[in-house]
Amino acid sequence: MTIKVKVRNAETGSTVDMEMENENTMSEIVQGAAGYWKKEAGAYVLRRGKKLLRGSQTVLEVGLKDDDEVELIPDPEGGYRAPPF
Amino acid sequence: MSQPVIVGDHVAEVKELPPPDRRRIKAHKWLTEKRMEDYRGRESKGFELYISKLAEEKIRNHALEHAFERKEVMGLLLGGMYRHNGLEYALVRDVATTDLDATDVSVRFDPRAFEKLFASLEEVGFRYVIVGWYHSHPSYHCFMSSTDVQTQRLMFNLRGHSAIVIDPINKEIEAFYLEEGKVRSRPFAIYWDEYQSPYYGTPVRMRDVGPSEGDLGAGA
Repeated sequence: MTIKVKVRNAETGSTVDMEMENENTMSEIVQGAAGYWKKEAGAYVLRRGKKLLRGSQTVLEVGLKDDDEVELIPDPEGGYRAPPF
Repeated sequence: MSQPVIVGDHVAEVKELPPPDRRRIKAHKWLTEKRMEDYRGRESKGFELYISKLAEEKIRNHALEHAFERKEVMGLLLGGMYRHNGLEYALVRDVATTDLDATDVSVRFDPRAFEKLFASLEEVGFRYVIVGWYHSHPSYHCFMSSTDVQTQRLMFNLRGHSAIVIDPINKEIEAFYLEEGKVRSRPFAIYWDEYQSPYYGTPVRMRDVGPSEGDLGAGA
């Protein structure tokens, strides 16, 4: 079954409508939206309300429904020294 | 199984809104002399970043709370992007944070505490845009380290996005942004809403001192 979910870019307020299947994972949603906005997918987490949507969870497992809104939240890192490359 | 497909988009508009009135803005008291000069140079033109008194207090208190453990703190700047007379600016109305995974030289959100962060985002009470982030440099002044710049490039690379760095030991604060990949200092102002004025609601009654000698003379 295909559902349509709104993904919000918290850093701009812009949104995309995304069609997905029950088997799609949260990682795929993050990658799709981050790619669209030219962002690094690994730097973001996804939330619906107060819940963290983990990368390996599927649409079915988290119970996403038609017209739900999820939000891409940045996961920043600050530091005095550079991490070892 | 196919990948999720984007079937529509909506680009958020930058709304027209006058910035906080000049009678309701002030320089941060922790600006260095150089940054204070920048502030004065910008005052008549208007700023690209305004931080509410509430957000500023939360940032400062957060940094001070962990200053003597020399632990860095961090959070997200919540507000919106606006435009007035051709000048775009960001308004930081509030901040959000959660438990941190921090040392004296690094800081991240504790991955087990995202839901606490999301709870505070849910409770903020307005449709926010994350216009940047803040973090502290306890005792080693305000600048953007290579890690900070990497974060700015990855997540906050629009002109309107800012990074606030605060040093609670030396009592310094500075805002930065990226322009063509280069880190720039951004003058900013603290604003307060009318109800946040410490004297708001305090009646100022004109003292009745009776007619002055001049008044008497004029009537004579």
